Amino acid sequence: MSRPRNPSQLHDLQCGVGQAVLGHDEESIVAAIMGDGLDPAQRLNIYRNHYNASLGEALKATFPVVCRVLDPRFFAYAASEFIKISPPRQVCLFEYGEEFPDFLAAFPPCAHLSYIGDVARLEWLISGALHSPAFPVIGSKDLAHLDAADYPQLVFALQPSLRLIESRWPIDRIWHQNKPGSESDGMIDLDAGGCRLEIRQLGEDVVFRSLEPGEFVLRSELAKGRNLDTAVAAALVCDPLYDTAHGLRRLFADGLVTGFTLAPKPGEAESVPAKQP
Amino acid sequence: MTERPSAVPSAMQPMPVKAGIGLRAPHMAEVSARQPAVGWLEVHAENYMGFGPAFRALERLRGDYPLSLHGVGLSLGAAGGIDDGHLARLKRLADSLDPFLVSEHLAWCDTGGVYLNDLMPLPCTEESLDVMAGHVDIVQSRLGRCILVENPSAYLRYRHSPIPEAEFLAALAARTGCGLLCDVNNIYVSSRNLDFDPLAYLAALPPAAIGEIHLAGHAANVVGDHTILIDDHGSAVSNEVWALQGDALRRFGRRPTLVEWDSQLPALDILLAEAAKADAVCATLCPENDDVQAA
Repeated sequence: MSRPRNPSQLHDLQCGVGQAVLGHDEESIVAAIMGDGLDPAQRLNIYRNHYNASLGEALKATFPVVCRVLDPRFFAYAASEFIKISPPRQVCLFEYGEEFPDFLAAFPPCAHLSYIGDVARLEWLISGALHSPAFPVIGSKDLAHLDAADYPQLVFALQPSLRLIESRWPIDRIWHQNKPGSESDGMIDLDAGGCRLEIRQLGEDVVFRSLEPGEFVLRSELAKGRNLDTAVAAALVCDPLYDTAHGLRRLFADGLVTGFTLAPKPGEAESVPAKQP
Repeated sequence: MTERPSAVPSAMQPMPVKAGIGLRAPHMAEVSARQPAVGWLEVHAENYMGFGPAFRALERLRGDYPLSLHGVGLSLGAAGGIDDGHLARLKRLADSLDPFLVSEHLAWCDTGGVYLNDLMPLPCTEESLDVMAGHVDIVQSRLGRCILVENPSAYLRYRHSPIPEAEFLAALAARTGCGLLCDVNNIYVSSRNLDFDPLAYLAALPPAAIGEIHLAGHAANVVGDHTILIDDHGSAVSNEVWALQGDALRRFGRRPTLVEWDSQLPALDILLAEAAKADAVCATLCPENDDVQAA
């Protein structure tokens, strides 16, 4: 923040009004507000209503599938309970709601919907991918100047929109069946198995698709900033038959690699900047 | 006090003659495809701060329309200071899109790191003027340009608010060199909610500082025995606001004028028709592109 100011009348007033809008104590602030024919609390209530309604709408916009699964009226109730305990700490509304999936997963009225937290997580990742920049990509030929002995130390920078999620529930099918505009109402077998999904921008849209176990682990490890050696090892532990060379070619072909660095070899002090966008 | 940019308001690009529209996401594709003959576009800056596909679509439109960035989250009136990270993102956006106007509000929304997602009213005191002026200086210095500050709609007033709001804005413009965004609907809404004379408010605004005019619709809610007007941007501009727009034009002359519509967003053609109506009103009252100032 710029220059924090000394405690002041304005600071005190804004704290008091803020507390009232957030639904906390308003007794301390009503005396500072003119009634002008109404109870000052009624005037504060106009702001409180807008705060709750606008944040509820923001959550609905970010979690449309959860809204449809839960039913809009119940979603509005769940959202209002969430807003009480998680007021926004971000200016941009599209950044509000990161904790909503965990909230839903632990929300007692949703206890019978054991998959709802993961469906919400998927929607949060889709929203995040939609609000991510896209960087210029590099190709595998950009690694040509490297010594092959350095390959294990490669750490790739991947597209900021890339996200990965694993769920024990078929959240991809739940999403498709309940996305806005979908008229499908078939039954989904929750015992049919989970999924491993990759979410990313493709052109000007966000798409997600299912990945095989080895590829999911490889991309997840690379996305966490692990070096190539570690990521490949993890993928092979998951699927000993996984074709890692093919997997790396697909990583480049999908336009996901935007740069790389070389992690220090055992005994070296620092990473070597090699190429970044 | 930081060194302030000299242009008032930021007029490095020619001012569009025709009225503009507030561009909202559901209309983005249609505007891109049809390229309607509207004078300019204004967007809420915060909706593009992810720098993703929406930002790239706006970048493409930028070649076809003058663009205005309208911020709603800087919290210029917050006693606790303004968010440097948010200001950095606004600067990146402004540097990327080269808007002909950048505007914010006489308001606050940040209370101890929690954002109230609203334009909260500021008491008009000397302390508030110091806070606002300090923050406008910081923003203008960081952006390297003047900004416009908009009068908000209000549903309450504070017991201690000794400076009339219009005079407060005039003093802010004089101290910082910022321009003013005169939201005619907000003046009307606040005048009804807080019982003041909207014409006196207009008369107290300095015409030379007015860099933009906003028009929008509002709703009426009954609270107790009172009707409270809500600035919901959810309907056509009311007859009363069109009349007040006439008074504003007679006083300020032709200014870049924008029609906003946010909730219950209509078909694009309805919004364009509102902009055309704003053009017709302006053509009648300001046939010459000269400033007309009241005595």
